[in-house]
Amino acid sequence: MSEPVIELQGLQHRYDTDLVLRDVDLSIGEGEIFGFLGHNGAGKTTAMNILTTLLEPTGGTATICGYDVVTDRREVTRLIGYLPADVRMYGHMSAAENLEFLAKLSGVPDARAAARETLEYLGCADLAKRRVGTFSTGMRQRIGIAQAIVHRPHVLFLDEPTSGLDPMGVRQLRETVLQLNRDLGMTVFMNTHQLNEVSKVCTTIGVLNHGELIYNDSIEATMRRFPDEASLEDIYVRVGDLAS
Amino acid sequence: MSESTNRILQVARHEYRAAVRSRALIILLAILVVATGFSVFIGATDYAAQLAEYDAYRAAAQAQGLTRIAPSPLAVLSLLRGAFEYLEIIGAIIAITLGYLSVSRERVSRTLPLLRSRPLTGTELAAGTFLGALAIFTTLIAATAVVGIVALGTIGNDWINPAQVLRLTLACVAALLYLSAFYCLGAIATAKAKMPANGLVIALGIWLLVVLVLPQIGDTLDADNQLPGGLFQALGLNHDGEVAVLTHFTGYEQVRTGIEEASLAKHFERFAFAMSDVKERYRPYGLPWLLNETRHDIGWLFAYTAVLFLGLRRTLTRQQPIPTGGNS
Repeated sequence: MSEPVIELQGLQHRYDTDLVLRDVDLSIGEGEIFGFLGHNGAGKTTAMNILTTLLEPTGGTATICGYDVVTDRREVTRLIGYLPADVRMYGHMSAAENLEFLAKLSGVPDARAAARETLEYLGCADLAKRRVGTFSTGMRQRIGIAQAIVHRPHVLFLDEPTSGLDPMGVRQLRETVLQLNRDLGMTVFMNTHQLNEVSKVCTTIGVLNHGELIYNDSIEATMRRFPDEASLEDIYVRVGDLAS
Repeated sequence: MSESTNRILQVARHEYRAAVRSRALIILLAILVVATGFSVFIGATDYAAQLAEYDAYRAAAQAQGLTRIAPSPLAVLSLLRGAFEYLEIIGAIIAITLGYLSVSRERVSRTLPLLRSRPLTGTELAAGTFLGALAIFTTLIAATAVVGIVALGTIGNDWINPAQVLRLTLACVAALLYLSAFYCLGAIATAKAKMPANGLVIALGIWLLVVLVLPQIGDTLDADNQLPGGLFQALGLNHDGEVAVLTHFTGYEQVRTGIEEASLAKHFERFAFAMSDVKERYRPYGLPWLLNETRHDIGWLFAYTAVLFLGLRRTLTRQQPIPTGGNS
């Protein structure tokens, strides 16, 4: 495997008495597109909140490019881009203003140009001057991705990026993720339920079950390991069965 | 400019722009400026008549060749008393509303995690929002001061001199501290409450206690307020005499002072009234004496604002994403 960009060692998180992440060990290499699978409440979003520095783990460590997400928060936030499950933006501002503001906070020297170029790169320059409060789900998702990449991060975190999107939106998002990985060399960490998308986009997968990482391997190796299963969905069910 | 300063300024600018887009806030600001203008207009009209009377007396005295002419009993800055009282009451409500709007906006749009996923520390975020609020208050206070000064000059026929400008500026700085403290209170209460509106109600409850109830209790218990025109004046006692009498009631005075000192509004009022000649007993003294006499009040204003700012910083730093932000 290439040099690890994301590394989790014995990662734990507890909400009061509820242990939602149990000693998760995971290593994700440079340029990979990692699909993090799991049932509702498995702990995927908690793991992502920790990796994006929004939440401090109650145990273990997590690093991005060697920087600890707790002690080196500033370095980590320079390296990552984040698209939350519910895309967040300032509704009273235009798409370009949202991007420019976030680019400035990330220390991008020419934030205005970065915002314009990012919108052009994602093919949504026409949305630049419109107030985002009026946008459809698909438009919001595209601007959400633009927000996540406006400072050209090294690692991109996407939390359930296809939720609420129509089939065209899902396809567009898939192409965008592949394009970002190919053109800009971004490592992508994606929480998702969409097994169909995972098989089309991801290079490696991990399966989380009640806070425990029960499976982690490349898509190719996974297909080889379970030759009798027809699809990734079948493999996912099989892995779950094996774990229980 | 360092990266950190740049981020603070970006947040401040963002905060300022978002605030001036709020219709509710603009209406409150307009009410304050109009109320101030009206109050000063009424006072200045009466003042112009009194000033004309004094000028006529002085001219007559000079015409008669008198060498000892009584100094003017008028104090032009005291006409701004209404402005400071409005700032004390309405200004504090505006500041709490601004703090509430600032945090509830982030909470409703759930944009705080968006900011926190950037290289922005809790301190920078708190400093930026605080600075943005400070810019709004500066605009508000400057507008109020300009309305007051122009009304005094044009209607009262008495333009204030540079020394008075300096004292007024100091009073405005105290007003900035006072409003900033209430801004932090509104923001902290909103961030801590389960529902943002509950935070606003809590902050307004504290405002009621600090701005209206505590000063009222303190005033009611004040020995000097027991007779119209002042007990000590009725007894023919000057400031030193008043101090001498009160030494016999130290326990009572300590309780009364303690109640008053718990009120941020009282400290602001004492300082602002001393700077603007509202209290007659301060009028004969120069700025150094006034600053020395009110150092305690300005110290409390600084302390309250600093503590509340640190509280805001702590609150914003510790805001965690809601556990169920996604599916787990």
